[in-house]
Amino acid sequence: MSPANRRRVTSRATGASLSGVRRVRLPNGLTVLLREMPQAPLVSIWCWYRVGSRDERPGFTGITHWVEHMNFKGTRTIPKSEVTRRVELAGGTWNGYTYLDVTTYFETVQKAAMEAMIRLEASRMSECLYPKTEVERERTVVISELQGGENDPRSFLDKEVTGTALQAHPYRWPTIGYLSDLQAIDRDDLYRHYRAYYVPNNAVLALAGDFRAAEALRMVRRWFGPIRRGAPIPAIRTVEPEQSGERRVVVRRPSGAVYLDIAWPSPAATDQEFPALLVLDGVLLGGPSVNIWAGGRGRGPSKSSRLYRALVEGDLASEVASTLLPTAYPFLYRVTATAREGVEPQRVEAALLAEIERLARGDVGERDLERARNQFLARYALDCESVTDVAHQIGFFETVADHRLLLGLPERVLAVQAADVTRLARQRLSALRRTVGHLLPADDAPANGPAERTT
Amino acid sequence: MSRAAATAPGAMGTLPRRTLLPNGLVVVVRRNPASPSITLRLTFEAGAAFDPPDRAGTSEMTAATIDRGCGSLGASEIAERFDFIGASCVTRSRRDALEMETRLLARHLPDVLDLLRSIVREPAFPEAEVERERAQLLTAIAERDQDTRQVAEETLAALLYPPGHPYHASALGDRESAGRIGRGELVAFHARRVAPAGAVVVVAGDVEPDRAFDAIAERFGSWTSATAGAGRADVPDPPALPGRLARVRPIAGKTQADIGFGFPAMRRTSDEMPAAMVLSSALGEFSLGGRLGATVREKAGLAYYAYSRVSAGRAAGAIVARAGVTMAETRRAVDLMRRTLATAVARGFTPKEIADSKQALAASVSRHLETNPDAASFLADCEFYGLGIDYPGRLPALIAGVTRADVHALAEKYLNLDRCVLVVAGPDLKEEELA
Repeated sequence: MSPANRRRVTSRATGASLSGVRRVRLPNGLTVLLREMPQAPLVSIWCWYRVGSRDERPGFTGITHWVEHMNFKGTRTIPKSEVTRRVELAGGTWNGYTYLDVTTYFETVQKAAMEAMIRLEASRMSECLYPKTEVERERTVVISELQGGENDPRSFLDKEVTGTALQAHPYRWPTIGYLSDLQAIDRDDLYRHYRAYYVPNNAVLALAGDFRAAEALRMVRRWFGPIRRGAPIPAIRTVEPEQSGERRVVVRRPSGAVYLDIAWPSPAATDQEFPALLVLDGVLLGGPSVNIWAGGRGRGPSKSSRLYRALVEGDLASEVASTLLPTAYPFLYRVTATAREGVEPQRVEAALLAEIERLARGDVGERDLERARNQFLARYALDCESVTDVAHQIGFFETVADHRLLLGLPERVLAVQAADVTRLARQRLSALRRTVGHLLPADDAPANGPAERTT
Repeated sequence: MSRAAATAPGAMGTLPRRTLLPNGLVVVVRRNPASPSITLRLTFEAGAAFDPPDRAGTSEMTAATIDRGCGSLGASEIAERFDFIGASCVTRSRRDALEMETRLLARHLPDVLDLLRSIVREPAFPEAEVERERAQLLTAIAERDQDTRQVAEETLAALLYPPGHPYHASALGDRESAGRIGRGELVAFHARRVAPAGAVVVVAGDVEPDRAFDAIAERFGSWTSATAGAGRADVPDPPALPGRLARVRPIAGKTQADIGFGFPAMRRTSDEMPAAMVLSSALGEFSLGGRLGATVREKAGLAYYAYSRVSAGRAAGAIVARAGVTMAETRRAVDLMRRTLATAVARGFTPKEIADSKQALAASVSRHLETNPDAASFLADCEFYGLGIDYPGRLPALIAGVTRADVHALAEKYLNLDRCVLVVAGPDLKEEELA
């Protein structure tokens, strides 16, 4: 770290909300995280499971997400009609999501309802019913969700590029799954998946809000304590082989615009290169949010960033964005752009890659770094204003790796130097390791028309 | 200037404070020391409803270019100043309002206010930036026309509000209107509509209210607008619908259809709003989407989303029922939604449905004030629409006063299936097939 950057990172500077987390492990293996935040009479409860689309196999893609849907259908002690009703009667909001590494459910409610929510999550972990009629109804709902995603050409291109860039690791298929699998998965498949992964030793319960930790822990022990530990969950064994040549995919879909999507391998969140990639992305596009729930909520593009200037101010694209997710295993860093009307995608691609080359040549100044660091620190604080965001963040990082990884990120980002960014651009963002996707409008293309691939 | 505190129950957290500057600008501050951050929201009476005739998209282009040059600063300098301190500034054009939302660390408030002062009061609208935005707008229009959700929403508005009504045209406009908007139009629109009178600034976050009031008065207190009118503008209500209007908007290659029923309803300030909120909750919001969610999604398994909403503004708004369904099931879903709506009119809702919706709505008010962006948005809305910054405190009692009979009467009054709009975006159906 250079003297200019040798700054002390205080909890006040980075959002005091993330310090002071208490971690407890119950005898059945459940990890409990507690963060007292008396700022408002609210409590946020997030129940996390270490199961995502990575834990699926061909023929069963989408099963994790479908299980998430089924777990709103009632339990042995809580009827279906009561699952979300109880949350809303407490003035609460609720939701859940499934992604590559995790499945999660949350409720943010008036503090008086905290124990009822803990009880609800304990019941969801151990007592869901999976009636066949509900399975069949939800099959068409999930298929409708898939079709809604395919209506969006960008979502379609994302799926194609991911499946091209990753050829072995289970991150390669979409979380929503493939239509053929969603048509074939049955009730017993779903229930088996639920029973295998919804066990306390595979879960994290994160609570933030207006409570006393000791009292909250008593409630957690009361409702989760009796749930029996399950069999250990097997680790993901497949490691994506190193890419040794550029891959390209051209998709033709009905679309109002031309889209680009370029992906490179990204390190896991625990990798020492992850903070450097956060800074690299900061120089290129203002930096990502490490809160995938807040997801840069309400933020526009960073208009001083290099790619905004090169592509949008360069009159080549109407929009440019990037995605860098904290994942348990190596995934993809990607930059997407919408070509301006009348601009060939090749020109957008060339200008985009020229900015990567610039980084690889070592053109990274101290002001670039300081701006990227400042943007990271500000976003880190802004994305942790609420009890919902704090419980999400500590729970997410604990599920993917360890919540202390999140607490240590500001120090690690401040330590990133220009040489780190240059090395990363040369090694990780090389031409040999990239996958380039173009989506071209094809008004007469069938809705499920094939994508063209070249490798 | 008077600095009044709103009267609100303690459950709503820190009370907001309000002041009116002599130039008509209203400033609202809500302190929240929980996080070292601030959300600053500026709301102007400059939404798409105020676009000049034949120039739909003017507000949108003004919002997109207002921060691309001001005073002695070019677009790059402005962007660098925001980005270097990690602040974000997002401008949006909505139906009634043009909004600027800035999120920042609290220690940067003076710098950000200096910048906003210049952006709001002295925008340059450089020719090159306007031309660039026009090109981007054309791309956005092309994307919109391929998006079933956006097409459904735009078509609902176009049918609920006849040509010539301020809510009729799309906020983005079309290719022709985009071609008619140049720098001169943006300069004129800004001079006419982006003015202190009728505007609202909300500061939510880690700042002493008096300090925020002084800082804003220092930057905006001397601002006067020669051409802008004082006070709040009126937007006329639309005429009654002539009957039942159905419109199909086919879009090739889509896998999901978007369905929308629209029923003309009331203004944002109407006394009927609390009952309308309860009606919409029971119809399509509570739990898994109220009755619409229960019938279309949970029982029939037809849709990933099925819901309702009340959208009300300066002019009378609408109660809208929406769903996204598999193409092949479009007609079945339309029938099911229609039957669900008809049953709500014929029989009303059960006592349990009404009690649940009332409790959920009343109990959730304080949650909408938890984060700085949420609080800034809620309070700006309350002030902009003349509801008062004590509205969050009063709302639970207003909802508690709604009866089951009120909701049924409202359903009978507004959910008239013989005088409504039905839109389907995606499949190539004949409009008669939807009858």
